Amino acid sequence: MITTPSDLKTYKNDLKRALQNQFLGATLDNFATAFKASRTKAFEGIDLDTLIAEIAQGKDEAIPYLEELFAAFKARAEAVGIKVHIARTAFEANSIIADIARANQVKKIVKGKSMTAEETFLNDHLEKEGFIVTETDLGEWIIQMRHEGPSHMVMPAIHLSRKEVAELFTKVTGQVQDPNDINGMVKVARRELRQVFLEADMGVTGANFAIAETGTIGLVTNEGNGRLVTTLPRVHVALVGFDKLVPDLKSALRILKALPRNATGQLISTYVTWITGPTPCTSSPDGRKEMHIVFLDNGRLALARDPLFSQALRCIRCGACANVCPIYKLVGGHNYGHVYIGAIGLILTYFYHGRENARAIVKACLNCQACKAVCPTGIDLPYLIKGVYRTILEVEGKTPVKNRLLKRVMGNRKLFHFLLRRAYLAQKPVAEGEYLRHLPFFFSSEHGFRTLPVVAKTPLRDMWERINPRLEKPRYRVALFGGCLVDFVYPEQALALVRFLKDHNVQLEYPMEQTCCGLPAMMMGENETARDVAVQNLKAIDPANYDYILTLCASCGSHLKENYPKLLGEEKGLGVKVEQLKAKLIDFSSFMINVLKVKPEMFRKSGKKVAYHAPCHLCRGLGVTREPRELIMVAGMEYCTATDEDVCCGFGGSFSVDFPEISAELLKRKLANAEATGAEVLVTDCPGCVLQLRGGMDQKSGRKMEVKHIAEIIGE
Amino acid sequence: MEKHEQIRLFKERAEAVQTSVTDVTGLQQAFLYAIEVTKNQGGSTIAAPALGPEERSQLAELCRQAEITLLTENIRDHIGKIQTGLTLGDWGVAETATLVLDSTSEDVRIATMLSETHIAVLPRSRIKSDAMELESELSELMRSAPRYLAFISGASRTADIERVLTIGVHGPKELHLLILDEGQEQSSPVHDVQKAKRKPRRR
Repeated sequence: MITTPSDLKTYKNDLKRALQNQFLGATLDNFATAFKASRTKAFEGIDLDTLIAEIAQGKDEAIPYLEELFAAFKARAEAVGIKVHIARTAFEANSIIADIARANQVKKIVKGKSMTAEETFLNDHLEKEGFIVTETDLGEWIIQMRHEGPSHMVMPAIHLSRKEVAELFTKVTGQVQDPNDINGMVKVARRELRQVFLEADMGVTGANFAIAETGTIGLVTNEGNGRLVTTLPRVHVALVGFDKLVPDLKSALRILKALPRNATGQLISTYVTWITGPTPCTSSPDGRKEMHIVFLDNGRLALARDPLFSQALRCIRCGACANVCPIYKLVGGHNYGHVYIGAIGLILTYFYHGRENARAIVKACLNCQACKAVCPTGIDLPYLIKGVYRTILEVEGKTPVKNRLLKRVMGNRKLFHFLLRRAYLAQKPVAEGEYLRHLPFFFSSEHGFRTLPVVAKTPLRDMWERINPRLEKPRYRVALFGGCLVDFVYPEQALALVRFLKDHNVQLEYPMEQTCCGLPAMMMGENETARDVAVQNLKAIDPANYDYILTLCASCGSHLKENYPKLLGEEKGLGVKVEQLKAKLIDFSSFMINVLKVKPEMFRKSGKKVAYHAPCHLCRGLGVTREPRELIMVAGMEYCTATDEDVCCGFGGSFSVDFPEISAELLKRKLANAEATGAEVLVTDCPGCVLQLRGGMDQKSGRKMEVKHIAEIIGE
Repeated sequence: MEKHEQIRLFKERAEAVQTSVTDVTGLQQAFLYAIEVTKNQGGSTIAAPALGPEERSQLAELCRQAEITLLTENIRDHIGKIQTGLTLGDWGVAETATLVLDSTSEDVRIATMLSETHIAVLPRSRIKSDAMELESELSELMRSAPRYLAFISGASRTADIERVLTIGVHGPKELHLLILDEGQEQSSPVHDVQKAKRKPRRR
């Protein structure tokens, strides 16, 4: 039985327990590394962006017409002798399947792996009705015997060690199993399950595709159990979500090109089976199989009409959004979803399994966008996760205190900036150099994994007129979007920029009415506040007045570029400005490399060894990967590549306050990877990452690397 | 893609999924290959349910000489005793080293899933670059139901225990593909393997 905590406190205790599981942590980390390599190799020679766009487009064209596709499928399937059913709910689906079993005097049922059947808890229902049900996918069989749910959509038993499987198989067979003989254990499964197949009266499968044009279902499996489940028993029932409907074979083949590659790094799964109509079956009294297809709605048809969340129906269940998720990697699928796990699980749980199950887990998102970058159907997963979070807040009408505060403060720039200036005075008793030596009262000891920086004595905006030279005939006019951290905590990052741009005859301006970009508000589900500050920033910085809008903060930059269109795109007049803003927005490294075209001659070659952390919002949010690395080398330093450079440092804004244990663990790994390079300095290009990395470096024992924003080190 | 380039890719991709690929110049050679593999593995039974009458008698004769039992129908009755399932493939897909096999016949499904080794003959001319090239042919087949089409790319496998790749969890432990070059066909009177296939029984 699957239980998922509905409150944050219980959830956090579960997470802490999971973090202690060293086997899980190591397994999932190795898996993530191996997956990345095999996936890249599998997509070699394929234009992945185009493929993703085509699949997304195909899905988006089908989603509004699922009922029409169903009608076409049904007509065709019935014409060839398949019995087609609609189940409006999970319970209805289970009842229909139990009824089919009863009507056919079925006793024993074999099952192919199906997430849809997991969704409806079909096995529980059938067992309660007195049927003997056996899962035949090895992983599913293992977890069925352990009375667990899958911890991954493709590899359901990935959380278990060989030792645990050996113990289980020892119990099942009555013979001691050697945990190191995996081949031997697989043979046990082959032997045990072969007998089960032969005795089964009915086979139940899911389907990866339901092709409307021909009434065909497609099954993708590696073990071949799907073929046996659909061949040996006299009855076959397929339980299929409405979202699996595609118009034709071409659409299915297009998805098939991406599915195995993105799921397991295979070019294709071993067995792909296309079944149209009841086939010959010698175990059936009339020599022909009894075939049923149950289409499951369970909210899908309503979801298809939702302007935002319908995107979730694009999902083809490859599981990759879990594989790359830094949180999943630490805590596993049993702590990162309900039935459906991974990023898509956080979303689907709310729709298919309810608010109680979604409430706590939906908060566990760093917004690092790793899932979005790996999704083969282009679902904007982090955005939908925030959407679910926001929906739950609205539905429950319980606005957290921090949300109320944020709304009041951030909506008013003058108040916000007044408070930030006041913070400088308030922190004095606990400040020492650039760090706070004691945590403010509202933090618990769990937050001690990193030292927090002090708020600067003089924010950037207050010194701007003093430090910023007016140039006679500048090459470019550039507006600096500071962001709160550069403005109030790390003005020195901007000072380096000012010096550098003066030397290159670039006029930098700091429009004073600019305020927080609004990302923190959006992360807390406060979209109205996010919208208001977005308008304020657009008023402060009219893109038409500048050649470029430069930011040192990758998070602000990616929020401006990705979320402003979502917040303001539809609004009269503002949509145009947002597009102009997007076109002119640039990060520091891209400005250096692509606009100023800096050359090695312009720098003193120091040969300093530098490791690089790629901020999530730069490498995925803004899609900038080449320029910072190139800049490090052009500027005369030695770039030392680190493992997992593009994995989140664990900051995630307020995430690190809500989930300090996860944040600390991610930070620990990040710093260890950076140190392993032997570099002296760790460079990144987002002040949020600087805060996290520098704070972690200060807390750790042993060698401490310097942590710098790339603008600072280039300016040296 | 040129034919030889397709074949090269097919072989390269097959190797990556432990599928053994061998060139043959005639059905007789393919049959002898199957008999040899069966014997080498210590088996004594070949299930070849989808052959046409001429090929069936040709194979039956070779099996008789080699003291191998040949099963051509009612394969379900022999589950547990089948060493080799022998089939004539419909198409090949180079990109993924896939055998496309019309498995509408239950005998074919059982022979290819409940045998220890699956050996399929694949005419060189029927190898395509990717599955999309077969879209219209496959759609056409799907329009005449019942139809059970299989893409088979390697032997049955799992990685469900600690992600360790293990072959043969449910189905055959080996897949052998014999690429038949009809241009060099001499020993068999039938030049088109598709004609050599028994028409699936309709019920």
